[in-house]
Amino acid sequence: MAALLLLGVSFVVFIILFLSPGNPFNALLKEQAATGAVSDAAKRGLSVPSSWYTQYLSWLGNILKGDFGNSIQTGLPVLSEVIRVSINTVYLTAGSMIMTLVLAVPIAVLSARRGLTPTNWFFTIFTYVVSAIPVFWFGYIVIYISIHQFGVFPLASSSSSQGWSWFHFMLPVIVLGLGNGTISEVVRYLREEMSRVFAEEYILTARAKGASIWKHSFKEGFLLPITEIIASKIPFLLGGAVVVEQVFSWPGMGRMAWQAAQYRDYPLIMGITVVAAIIVRMGSLMQRVVQIMVNPRASRE
Amino acid sequence: MSNGPVLAIENLRTYFFSRSKQAFIRSVDGVTLHIEKGKTLGIVGESGSGKSVTALSTMGLISAEPGVIIGKIGLKTETVQKNLLRDLKDHVKINMSTGRIMSVYKDSLGWQKKINRLMKGIRGKEIAMIFQNPKLSMNPFSSIGKQIAESILLNTSISNRNEAKDKAIYWLEQVKMDSPRLRYYNNPYGLSGGMCQRAMIAMALSSEPSLLIADEPTTGLDATIQSKIVDLLAHLKTSFGVTTMLISHDIDVIKSLSDNVAVMYGGTVLEHGPARTILTSDYKYKHPYTAALLSSIPSQEHIREKKKLQVIEGDVLDTINIPDGCRFFERCNKVTDKIKEQCEHTEPDLREVFPGHKVRCFRFFRT
Repeated sequence: MAALLLLGVSFVVFIILFLSPGNPFNALLKEQAATGAVSDAAKRGLSVPSSWYTQYLSWLGNILKGDFGNSIQTGLPVLSEVIRVSINTVYLTAGSMIMTLVLAVPIAVLSARRGLTPTNWFFTIFTYVVSAIPVFWFGYIVIYISIHQFGVFPLASSSSSQGWSWFHFMLPVIVLGLGNGTISEVVRYLREEMSRVFAEEYILTARAKGASIWKHSFKEGFLLPITEIIASKIPFLLGGAVVVEQVFSWPGMGRMAWQAAQYRDYPLIMGITVVAAIIVRMGSLMQRVVQIMVNPRASRE
Repeated sequence: MSNGPVLAIENLRTYFFSRSKQAFIRSVDGVTLHIEKGKTLGIVGESGSGKSVTALSTMGLISAEPGVIIGKIGLKTETVQKNLLRDLKDHVKINMSTGRIMSVYKDSLGWQKKINRLMKGIRGKEIAMIFQNPKLSMNPFSSIGKQIAESILLNTSISNRNEAKDKAIYWLEQVKMDSPRLRYYNNPYGLSGGMCQRAMIAMALSSEPSLLIADEPTTGLDATIQSKIVDLLAHLKTSFGVTTMLISHDIDVIKSLSDNVAVMYGGTVLEHGPARTILTSDYKYKHPYTAALLSSIPSQEHIREKKKLQVIEGDVLDTINIPDGCRFFERCNKVTDKIKEQCEHTEPDLREVFPGHKVRCFRFFRT
């Protein structure tokens, strides 16, 4: 299944790249006269397959051998480059997911247990407002404030040679955590799942025997929805990461993808696509594993 | 040692406020009943007569908003003696205007906290409960054995996990579960409805409660399983002698298990007395509703003589607009001209007409 998914994703991205205007040779030959004749000569010289399907198949053949090719822009091997920066993106997305959950879970739990009291109304509206903030705008505002109010330059250095400071790490995480637009959804989904489970008959039984309803509702009312949310929001976070990494010069996969797209760096774009698809797939795999661990019935379905 | 009933409910009223109708739904409206130590009280009545709400009120498990519970629920066991509804009224404000309830303000948080404080050490420990729908009433994500062991750890003096496990297996044996050692590890979905109900009963008994509330324990099970569960409950009654409140709409179940019976209708008790007098159709002091109920059940006699079953005309009482007079007046077929006026306009009280037998009907007394 996973292999089929990767094949499909890579194929679709390839077709989009093929149909989109521009090609890597123009970028490559920017300094020289980028006429059709020079470009064609470069193509022949690099022995690029002529038709789209031979191009795709040759890329696929190399992938199966473990060769993702070299970046057109930098000449470095794609695989090691993508893996190097994907770690940074995983830090960013994981951190901002935790940030989102830290905010959303208490609000959801509180309003599931106590109903929509005025305080919970306030918090719920707050999450909707926060979700409506565009992430790039929010990022620039945060940078503006940190420079002008605190005199700190919050951009993570793209070379990251001087190491990480907590400040450089936390700002993008907070911005993506708040601005990824999923908080209100997390609150709503978790609250509904929890209230549904609280109304289940086995929770009444738990109360009748004097047991904790939190303990009995934990698996179905908290663990399952949380893993489901995390798995389903990973693509959104990766999408948001592209913007946030760009805004904060964060040396991650999103920023690399942005640059690769500008340079029409096809091998790099394809490599990033495959790694991103693997990360998303790992998320759903994790969800499945938790589901089977919690509910043995799921494994037979 | 204890004198007097284990549970004495006096004038219990559980109302739910309907916002759309701006009126109270009076699910339980003046229930008075009591259960003697070691006895089983059967509560019988149609759906919507307030049986289950009475049970849930006793357990403090009414969670609908905003509901009001007033009256007195006296619990008296060897270790505890208290009114389970003490001071709950303080958390509710009702705004009345020209006799109509305009709004209800309930400090739900305070109410819930008070109820949880009152019920701490009561739920599970003193009163255990069996529900209908056994498959939905057990936690599907945990094995039945663990759930029973949890109840033991919470509610008995056993605090060692292994001991609790042994005890849970002991109780599974007591409810005649086949191969209890293996069943201990089964999740509810791996068991049939009947087995789940056995596990539920084992869980309720495992905390060694002073009072067991069984709310429709056989409803939702196959007919053959039903009779097996009834047999099991009868067996457990003789071997452990647990004081039980048994709720059912099935008169046969009530008949085979109860010592005393309370007949409920429209949120109140119409008749309360020993099972043998209430469930015999030719007893002298009998509420017309009970009489009609009994003759609407197919019996051996009906089948032998090919008699037609009697039907109780009319519908179940609308619990929003409860009439001034007798609740059963509209459907009653035993009203005589002499008492008709009184039946229609004043509600009879539940009065002792024979030692131990109470009836709410003007045919047996005048005010």
